[in-house]
Amino acid sequence: MSETAAPAKTEQKRAINRLKSMYPLRNLVQQDYIDTLQASNEGKPTVWSMLNYWEGDLPLKAMGLNIVYPENYSTLLASTGTAEPFLDASDSDGFPTHMCGYGRSTIGYSYRMMKELGGKIPPEAPVGGMAKPALLLGSGIICDARFKWFQALGRYFDTPQWCLEMPMMPTFEGSEPDLEGYQVKFLTREVKAFIEFLEKLLQRKMDWARLEELIDLAVRIHETTWQISELRQSVPGPMHSTDFWSSMPPSLFFAGDMKVALQFYRDMLAEVQDRVNNKIAAINYPEKYRIVFAELPPWHSLKFFDSLAEKGWNFVYESYGYHAPKPPDLSKISDPCEKLARLSRNFIFNIHEHARADNIGNPLVEQYLRIARGFKVDGFFLHPLISCRAASAGLRSVQEFLLRKLDVPTLWVEGDIIDKRVFNPQETLARAEAFEQTMGHYHKVRLSKGLDW
Amino acid sequence: MAIAINKGLSLAHDIYEDRGRRVRELRKAGRKTIGYICLYPPVEIITALGMVPFRIFGNMSEPITLADQVSTTVVCPFLRSIIDLGMKGKFDFLDGVVGAHTCDIGAGIIVQWRDYVKDAPFTHLIDVPHTDHPPAVEYFAGQLNSFKRHLEEYAGQKLTDDKLKKAVELHNTQRKLVRQLYDLRKPDPPLLTSAENLEVLVALFSLPVEEGNDLLEGVIRQVSERSDRPGRKKARLLVWGPVFDNTSLFKLIESAGSSVVVDDTCVGTRAFWADVKAPYDLQALAQRYLVDIKCPRTYRQAEPAETKRDYDKDLDSRFNYIKKAIVDWNVSGAVLQSVKYCDTHGYEVPNLRHYLDTLGIPSIYIEHDYSERSLAPIKTRVEAFVETLG
Repeated sequence: MSETAAPAKTEQKRAINRLKSMYPLRNLVQQDYIDTLQASNEGKPTVWSMLNYWEGDLPLKAMGLNIVYPENYSTLLASTGTAEPFLDASDSDGFPTHMCGYGRSTIGYSYRMMKELGGKIPPEAPVGGMAKPALLLGSGIICDARFKWFQALGRYFDTPQWCLEMPMMPTFEGSEPDLEGYQVKFLTREVKAFIEFLEKLLQRKMDWARLEELIDLAVRIHETTWQISELRQSVPGPMHSTDFWSSMPPSLFFAGDMKVALQFYRDMLAEVQDRVNNKIAAINYPEKYRIVFAELPPWHSLKFFDSLAEKGWNFVYESYGYHAPKPPDLSKISDPCEKLARLSRNFIFNIHEHARADNIGNPLVEQYLRIARGFKVDGFFLHPLISCRAASAGLRSVQEFLLRKLDVPTLWVEGDIIDKRVFNPQETLARAEAFEQTMGHYHKVRLSKGLDW
Repeated sequence: MAIAINKGLSLAHDIYEDRGRRVRELRKAGRKTIGYICLYPPVEIITALGMVPFRIFGNMSEPITLADQVSTTVVCPFLRSIIDLGMKGKFDFLDGVVGAHTCDIGAGIIVQWRDYVKDAPFTHLIDVPHTDHPPAVEYFAGQLNSFKRHLEEYAGQKLTDDKLKKAVELHNTQRKLVRQLYDLRKPDPPLLTSAENLEVLVALFSLPVEEGNDLLEGVIRQVSERSDRPGRKKARLLVWGPVFDNTSLFKLIESAGSSVVVDDTCVGTRAFWADVKAPYDLQALAQRYLVDIKCPRTYRQAEPAETKRDYDKDLDSRFNYIKKAIVDWNVSGAVLQSVKYCDTHGYEVPNLRHYLDTLGIPSIYIEHDYSERSLAPIKTRVEAFVETLG
């Protein structure tokens, strides 16, 4: 546990010490929605895309397409309290109620747009809404819902679809020596096929030079965000999880103009570095506990983190799944499709080596151990979601491994990304108080075992 | 000692009631036993290496207790049941376990098995692509090669072309016999009940393929000649959905005044409808498992890379095999069932119901948590549904 002084200057004391450089990055995604709507009004096509860890984003951008991400838009619905009617609409059209909250809200949105409003954007939709899609781009990365829910949207839109591929494997099988070669070959062929499909759909050729330029920008953005991540290991933690979530879209799915985003991330790197140099914390209270949040946050209740910050809880890091890893060296690769294949594959497979060294079967579970050690974490806030299998399934293992291997305790708080009824902030705060004693106990246990935090 | 053959339905029932019996005997006699989860691990490779494939199911009658320590409750209760049983030592007769990335949670089961069950010295996960794109089929063949190589190491022998060919022929024979078994439910009334049919299928998943084929021949002969046929019912139903390995749902539906005459489930037709086509190599296995098995876990399109999409055409391309079953088995209604938290099937439901509507087939959707307890409230709904079929 750490105990540091509060920042010297706090004009009006807010619990969380937000990074100034976060705001322009946050605005990029909102501007994207506005620009996409504008483009749609001018007759230009809009793509609805799933997060695809870049193998789809960059070809779309290189073709000059406007992209919105319903997953991201669903977080807006949740945070603005406007998701409920869309969830109800999904239920009323026969989709099971236990499906992904993001999926249900998108389905409900589509139902309302196409079945009730004749193709018009629902007027109650925040930031102007999402324009009708001209292409639905699903993805097989991380969760089944990412392609099944877009396939299901065919019920509302007679719109072309594509499903991107990505191998998904645990530690042992994912570390086989000959695997990389045929996986890269597979993904390279898939990227080529996707680009050919785009060319056929749009009746124009890919601008390969532009694609190369964007890949280069992507690598530089990820190098910068990776450096920011590394700096976050400092004590006190210089960047709060809420700042990460607010600023992640331009690196997670390249929201906004990538050149602009790169400059904004460089500004953020400089600001975080300044905080590290001057030991400025991400909360305006003494950092008592260094906490990691896993997995997706309760978007509808983010103010809850202020109450925890007041108690000295600094959320110093978050789940691996939203961070771009250190990018691979692509300098010797000439084929842009192979570059993309390697860039995307790296997100899934760069962690297998660590997991193998730690002898842990699930590389995502191993990431939490790595984070616990590197960030000197006092406790993990685990947030299993009632409607997200992908984010919740492994959390019991995470809990068990953290305690067994590192004596790091976890606070288990059930909730949801969309449905605010299942998250109880007051009860959680009461449990957090008791958890502080647990963290105190395990801090002593770790020290007694020779660990240094 | 080989199992007694040609005892037909009573033998199938006995094996259904004690699935591990024969596998335990064989293991004692020195055969290796390899459990597998879901439809996608290719049983032909296991058989060809002289091992006994055993499909792992859960147990709807047994409350999940230990698995809650290692798995959240908002994931597939069928898979949680499997881990629960594993943690309780109920699969201690298996030398190995093979899984496949047929869904996210299913893929995670192998990791949990390694971490928390630990009985089996051999474990392997086969990655299954999400589409049937040609590069995906080739990649999947590579995955089957990895599995083959790993199992060869464990078996201490090489898989020759001849051994694989012989195994494929045996399994193709079994598939053909199962299709003949299903033909016995085409008449009205059908010659066997859906519960009897399921007991036979579950028995097949618990026996070496040769013994399963003997069992099937005996059952088909017995049923073809039986005098105690089920009576004629008000409706002839198709049951759709993910795994259902317990006769209770079929008994419930049939007790509501209907006959289940055919299914589209992964314990039923999906496991047996498609043959491996010649040449019997890994590419042919990849084609059979990834492309020819019709499970919602695979993303398909009416035409590759189509730039103009039509909803009805899309549905027909994905579900026309169901239309064929409806015609061939003279189906009058459909029961869509799914275990809770199954994303791959859940997203399918409204679209499949729409497709069935266009065919004039009424349908009902029911959801359960893979426990016998959860089926009780469903009975009233099924009765009301059958009543509407007139």
